[in-house]
Amino acid sequence: MYFDRRILSTFDWRMAGITLTLVSVGIITIWSGNLGSPSPVKQALYLRQSLWFILGIFGLLTGALVNYRTLARFAYPIFGVLLVLLLLVSVVGEAGYGAQRWIRIGAWSLQPSEFMKLALIIVLARYFEDYKERLGDLRLLVVPAVVAAVPIFLILRQPDLGTAALLGLLTLSMLLLVGLRVKHLLLLTFAGATLAPVLWSFLKGYQRQRFMVFLYPQLDPLGAGYHITQSKIAVGSGELFGKGLKAASQSQLNFLPASHTDFIFAVLAEQWGFIGCLIILLLYYFLVTRGLEIASDSRDLFGALMAFGIMAMMMVQLVVNIGMVLGVMPVVGVPLPLLSYGGSSLLVTCLGIGLVINVHMRRFIY
Amino acid sequence: MKSSFESPSRVRIALLALVLTTFLGLVAWRLYSIQIIQHHDLGTRAMGQYERRIPVASKRGTIYDRHGRALAISLDAASVFAHPGLVQQPRATASRLSQVLKRPAREIQAKLQSDRPFVWIQRKVDPERAEVVSQLNLPGVGLVPEGKRYYPKKNTAAHLLGFVGVDDRGLEGIELQYDHLLTGGSQSFLSRVDALRRIIFREAEERPVGSDLYLTVDEVIQHVAERKLEAAVQRSEARAGTVIVMDPVTGEILALANTPSYNPNAFGSYPPAFRRNRAVTDPYEPGSAFKMVLAAAALEEGLVTPKDLFYGEDGTIEVAGTKIRDHKRHGWMTFRDVVVFSSNVGAIKVGMKVGKARFYNYITSFGFGVPTGVDLPGESRGLIRRPRDWSRLSLGSLSIGHEVSTTPIQLITAMSAVANGGHLVRPYVLKAVRHPDGSIVESRPLPVRRVISPETARTLTSIFTEVVKRGTGQAAGVAGYSVAGKTGTAQKLDRQTGRYSRTKVVASFVGYVPAEHPRLAILVLIDDPGGTAWGGTVAAPVFREIAQEVLPYLEIPPVPARDKRVARRPDEASSRVN
Repeated sequence: MYFDRRILSTFDWRMAGITLTLVSVGIITIWSGNLGSPSPVKQALYLRQSLWFILGIFGLLTGALVNYRTLARFAYPIFGVLLVLLLLVSVVGEAGYGAQRWIRIGAWSLQPSEFMKLALIIVLARYFEDYKERLGDLRLLVVPAVVAAVPIFLILRQPDLGTAALLGLLTLSMLLLVGLRVKHLLLLTFAGATLAPVLWSFLKGYQRQRFMVFLYPQLDPLGAGYHITQSKIAVGSGELFGKGLKAASQSQLNFLPASHTDFIFAVLAEQWGFIGCLIILLLYYFLVTRGLEIASDSRDLFGALMAFGIMAMMMVQLVVNIGMVLGVMPVVGVPLPLLSYGGSSLLVTCLGIGLVINVHMRRFIY
Repeated sequence: MKSSFESPSRVRIALLALVLTTFLGLVAWRLYSIQIIQHHDLGTRAMGQYERRIPVASKRGTIYDRHGRALAISLDAASVFAHPGLVQQPRATASRLSQVLKRPAREIQAKLQSDRPFVWIQRKVDPERAEVVSQLNLPGVGLVPEGKRYYPKKNTAAHLLGFVGVDDRGLEGIELQYDHLLTGGSQSFLSRVDALRRIIFREAEERPVGSDLYLTVDEVIQHVAERKLEAAVQRSEARAGTVIVMDPVTGEILALANTPSYNPNAFGSYPPAFRRNRAVTDPYEPGSAFKMVLAAAALEEGLVTPKDLFYGEDGTIEVAGTKIRDHKRHGWMTFRDVVVFSSNVGAIKVGMKVGKARFYNYITSFGFGVPTGVDLPGESRGLIRRPRDWSRLSLGSLSIGHEVSTTPIQLITAMSAVANGGHLVRPYVLKAVRHPDGSIVESRPLPVRRVISPETARTLTSIFTEVVKRGTGQAAGVAGYSVAGKTGTAQKLDRQTGRYSRTKVVASFVGYVPAEHPRLAILVLIDDPGGTAWGGTVAAPVFREIAQEVLPYLEIPPVPARDKRVARRPDEASSRVN
């Protein structure tokens, strides 16, 4: 394989470093948050996450070193394979938490919907690059909308409202980038508003309930509002410097549900306090802005769109997850990138960051 | 190729960065609001969720006798519990536990499979078994420390000590009376509870410790009293019996025994009647023993002298239409002999001289009708009616110890006042408390009031000495010691006929030794002995048996034989005829 030495010299150590730091913090939090758990499985979760992290490092390197033009070439087949996997999930998938999202391979569970995020980004980037002369044409948006709608529909049926909404927002942000005009945007908003009641009817009972509780948290403090209430209590007991790793009783005494997955930020806030949270937020800020910078400096549209899409994906997850933990957004199951427990999510995010680094490294290479 | 896409895209990328910055700013502000501004509020709510006061059994203090011999101790026991949700193999776990705990496996398995988050498998397992359970290392099964009360001397002093329930709270006797000292106050500590209401015990948590108690009781004397009482009750085929041994000067109770008794280690297997501390809870009619109060009143008020003569009416006197008999026909006799031979006719005549009001004053002054204040639970006050409620028969009845009921503790307390020269004292059981910090607080004797003058007390003692020397209480005599005392034989009130029974009696003897410098006051009460029985024949011998063993034990020297002569007292110089 041809290997240009310039690639190594242009490797973005800052992005990789931030990634490693965030994942490490995540593993420590998963470990300490489950110290009080009576279940040995939960106590060992941090070990599983560490193994996934090793895989993630490989993913990051792979994403960074493989020529991303190759990815552009195989964009459609990759998307197709993942669509098949998603279909497979609905047939032979493994259920958990009242949904069917996983495919079991030996001792490991894969969540194809996570990988679909990346595949959708790549396929959209490839599509827009193919038609870059006609960007801004409204008709050009029909195909991406349909392409995105298929996986969204499949994921909604799992059901996984969070990931589906994520894919929707992702598609929208990429459309915005490639030149959706303001009047088109207004049109889209209008369409969304009209469609909202229809979508509402598609939602599961518990999903509707979460929205209602989000709007009126006092409706049901021990039932559906329990998540938000406990999360706020956990965050609030952190104060300026936090309660430390082992004294975070709110999460360790099992009051906080999903403390290692979707609500890991609450555990973090309880353990490390306001200062710790600010540091984490700054790390995310540097990571995403650097990614956007790379997208902006990309030598081709595909690279720019891909890097942008990956960063947009991270950002949307950041907003939805932290917003949920702090009680300003409804409870939607979206993991916090790099921090939350979950192998597929971690691997996909690492891969994505690798790809962004890739775009940066190859901007001078033909 | 760097210009391969248009600048609007660049602007929009920058826009996204701006959105991110704005969002993170908002998040920071929100975090500040929750973590800093609302911290106090939310922190309090958090504590309310997981902090609980868990009642925890303190290490209960030890109860010792007056010489530091342990009567009640707390063993370190452990209670086995389980979190059924964490038990992996209920059947196997149950069968292994059942081997150790000697309980049916099915019973344990049912507990392990219950849907509660926490179950007790067995409370208070002995240390050896607890150790085995902990080594089994069964998932979901745990141990917490608890104390197990143990009475090493079994039945000894059972009624004094009482017992504790499964939660380690005193239910009877000293265990109940001084529960607050033995448990050491607060019985709870702060613990953490998780969202599933599981208790997260903190390893380093120290168990609260209670105070140790030293009783006035002497285990040796207690043992003698119990043995002699038990033998006497069996010998006389009686229903029940009570013995109290007291220091008449201080009011310290040296022994207190009741029959039937029980083993406090297994209190549940005895009927409640066996567990009742009759010495303080059960009033009875004292009969002739009550003549002590009458004699004290008559002498103290100067109404009689020991040599005054009373006519015995040949053994029968009629009071308000009721004939009252002596069990022996008496002619003329001195006041002294009225008491010595326990003449009912004579006593009734003395009673007439004393009169209602004065007699009543002395009865209440000696402490009848009110609890003595002994530090034992469930004390009865006895019954004495007010003079305005008396019938025409009442004065006569009271003179011979009927129409009044008294507890054994009241009677021995009254007799002690005569013995110690005229002071009524409060009887007590708690000699000292040793607090967990090592400090010791001793109880002090509590004089209640002077009831008679020392002279009257001396005269009464000389009369009571003669009761034992040549009167109804001869069986109480102890060779080498001067014993003072008074017998009592009261007919029991038959509840069915409402009359005094001819066959059922309460036989008693209450006295003290040595008469001049009393060290021991002893009351013996035999309830419903079989056959024809008197206080002098059934109860007095028990007094002797106990005194015979206890006097040498306390190293009280016998009085030389030449002192047998009763000293003449100035108040006996003149005599009157009645």
